[in-house]
Amino acid sequence: MFKKTIAAVGAGVAAVALLAGCTAGAGSEGTDASGDVTLTFLTFETPNLDAAYWDETIERTNAIVPGVKIERLVAPNNDRDAYARQLDSTGELPDIMVAVNPTGLAEAGKLAEFSEDELENWIDPTSNSFDGTIYQLPTNTQTIPNMYYSKAAFEKAGVAEVPQTWDELLAASEKVKAAGITPIVVNGGGADTWANIYALDGLIGTEVYAKNPDFLAQLASGDTDFSDPDFVTAVTKFKELIDKGYVSPTTLSKTYAEGQEAFLAGDGAMYPMGSWFSVAPDEAAQEDLGVFAWPSDDGSLIMPTYTGGGLSVSSSAPDVDKAKEWALAWSQVQENNAGGVLNDGLFVALKDFTVPEGTTKLYDESLALYNDAVENGTVVTVFGNEGGIPSLPSGFNAEVNAAITDLVNGQTDVDGFIDQLNQKYTELTQ
Amino acid sequence: MARRRAGEEWTVSISSTTRVAPTRERDEHRATPRSNGVIRRGLRRWQEAGTFAVFVLPSLAVFTAIVFVPIVWTLAIGFTDERATRPETSFIGFDNFVFLLTNPSFLQALGNTLLITAIVVIFTNALGLAIALMLHKSGWLYNLLRSVFFTPVILSAVIVSVIWRSILVDDGLLNTTLRSIGVTDPPGWLSDPAIAIYSLSSIMVWQMLGFAVVVYLAGLAGIPTELEEAASIDGAGPLARFRAITWPLLAPSLTITTVMLMISSFKVYDQVAVLTNGGPGSGSTATIAFEVIQTAFVEQRTGMASAMAGIMLIIVAAANLIVLRVLQRREVTH
Repeated sequence: MFKKTIAAVGAGVAAVALLAGCTAGAGSEGTDASGDVTLTFLTFETPNLDAAYWDETIERTNAIVPGVKIERLVAPNNDRDAYARQLDSTGELPDIMVAVNPTGLAEAGKLAEFSEDELENWIDPTSNSFDGTIYQLPTNTQTIPNMYYSKAAFEKAGVAEVPQTWDELLAASEKVKAAGITPIVVNGGGADTWANIYALDGLIGTEVYAKNPDFLAQLASGDTDFSDPDFVTAVTKFKELIDKGYVSPTTLSKTYAEGQEAFLAGDGAMYPMGSWFSVAPDEAAQEDLGVFAWPSDDGSLIMPTYTGGGLSVSSSAPDVDKAKEWALAWSQVQENNAGGVLNDGLFVALKDFTVPEGTTKLYDESLALYNDAVENGTVVTVFGNEGGIPSLPSGFNAEVNAAITDLVNGQTDVDGFIDQLNQKYTELTQ
Repeated sequence: MARRRAGEEWTVSISSTTRVAPTRERDEHRATPRSNGVIRRGLRRWQEAGTFAVFVLPSLAVFTAIVFVPIVWTLAIGFTDERATRPETSFIGFDNFVFLLTNPSFLQALGNTLLITAIVVIFTNALGLAIALMLHKSGWLYNLLRSVFFTPVILSAVIVSVIWRSILVDDGLLNTTLRSIGVTDPPGWLSDPAIAIYSLSSIMVWQMLGFAVVVYLAGLAGIPTELEEAASIDGAGPLARFRAITWPLLAPSLTITTVMLMISSFKVYDQVAVLTNGGPGSGSTATIAFEVIQTAFVEQRTGMASAMAGIMLIIVAAANLIVLRVLQRREVTH
């Protein structure tokens, strides 16, 4: 009996060891014999930003910041926010991180502060700051989403003009669907469930943030919740796209990379995606593709935009000052940012930055849309990308992604979607 | 304990830790065989204790430091509201446990875990036994087939999942093949919430099948051929021989495979993370292990995640205890 008990408990031990035994081994080694400080740098790789891109940026930065050795870490998938927090939970927060949402880490004192003086070259140094305290360099602007479309699909379906209003989007989608083409491509399969949010992001931009820029602040203060009429309208419109067959459960099973590849291969007419997509198609494909802003009710230009996504530094780095120096330098190397433009379609938010030669047609068109929105004063927040104070709690986006999939698959309705978000938000903020 | 008196000498044994009685006293003991035996037994005990200390204590210390203490610590954290992003932590008693046992998401993950475990244990055992019976022959072909069946076991679960994902995704190899033979609307093996958990379980069965085959082959090899021959002479057919001889004597193999498969299934995480990320949708394939990782490392609620791990510990331990008790009762020897 004793042996059985031991065996059974031993089996259970394996279960608890899941949590107790998780370490990632991301810690830096500090200073070596030569006096160089070794710093870990968390990156992520995508079809646009491959290993060579990151290695070259590191090499360039090391050339101007001596005494630093960089040990590059790669997030296992595009969800580097989750990975950074996983590392943090095991006491191995990387010394320098790129595009990791600082929410939670900053409040817990785990990130080093930057001063506005250090960021005098930045266009909007306090973007996504924590009541003015800067924890992440707001180096990059991305518009999320743009609606990329296939001219060939529109032509085949008889759509002569790109949709500017919601009604025109519905009409165009109907024609595309009748032509046997998936109207709006939404992906999010496998581990890439995060990728299914962009169509809803467009709707939350036009229906919520364009009408009430303080929605998230009101949510954080408890003055509203996701039953807010504007938010419900956004979700209801998304459900309309699903019910009419314009958003397909089939495409939802594809990962981000598979979905992008399929769209470029002609599978689907419209692809709501961040501005980084503008550099993904090759030269031939660029000619067949165009871009327009997510349509609003009256056709006015609303552009959900995120400025941030730059580097942040751990407050427990072996040499915080050196890590900050390296991060500031990395962010201002013209070639690094030019690489970000050419490889990831970034709009660089630095005063002295010059857009390099050789940008793609879609990049130029996406940038033009953004500049128009800036000129019109119709730039709005991107739902799920809010940084600083206020922002959504860690882990909330995963619930939104799950609820979107349920909505597309017919597993829930608008009310269920709203209830699910309210419950999770309460659970995570209690 | 003997004391050293004036004029007496201490006698030191080989073991520096063993002190032997003074000479006069020792001589007195030598006088009787019984006292000699007592000394030898005492010495042997000391030597055994020394051996224990040398060989067991280091590993016990390592086990305690890197397994036992973290587990106890994890369980203790389950009684707090600790969050990685919040400096202050409070003791909240059983609140986390009460919340979890009434939380639909956690109960769904628990149900999924139990379903996966049941599928994996039943089907892997059944198929493993069937294949082992077929392969319980000599010859190069059978040796080759044994290797083929065992290959998935040594592959990483992540690699296996990536391969199967490319087959099972909606436009993957399987559905493309089905469409090519006229199936117009093939199932969404990973995208349909009603099917995905069975796809996931099937992949686990596929990967673990080789393990069950090997264990059953070892069990079959241990059954004396005389028993089968005697039964044949007595007129028993193949089915009767299986029921009366093979199956009872394979009981230890069944115990091993069942317990190991249960443990593997209860803590499944890799396949879920790669194939479905807990979806499609809200937790349709989420397991307890997946929820533990999500809660701890994504939501950063380490107190809640620790409570989940504690519940998992209790369930796994209880389930294994029951299974061991039931299966070992039917084990026979020959």
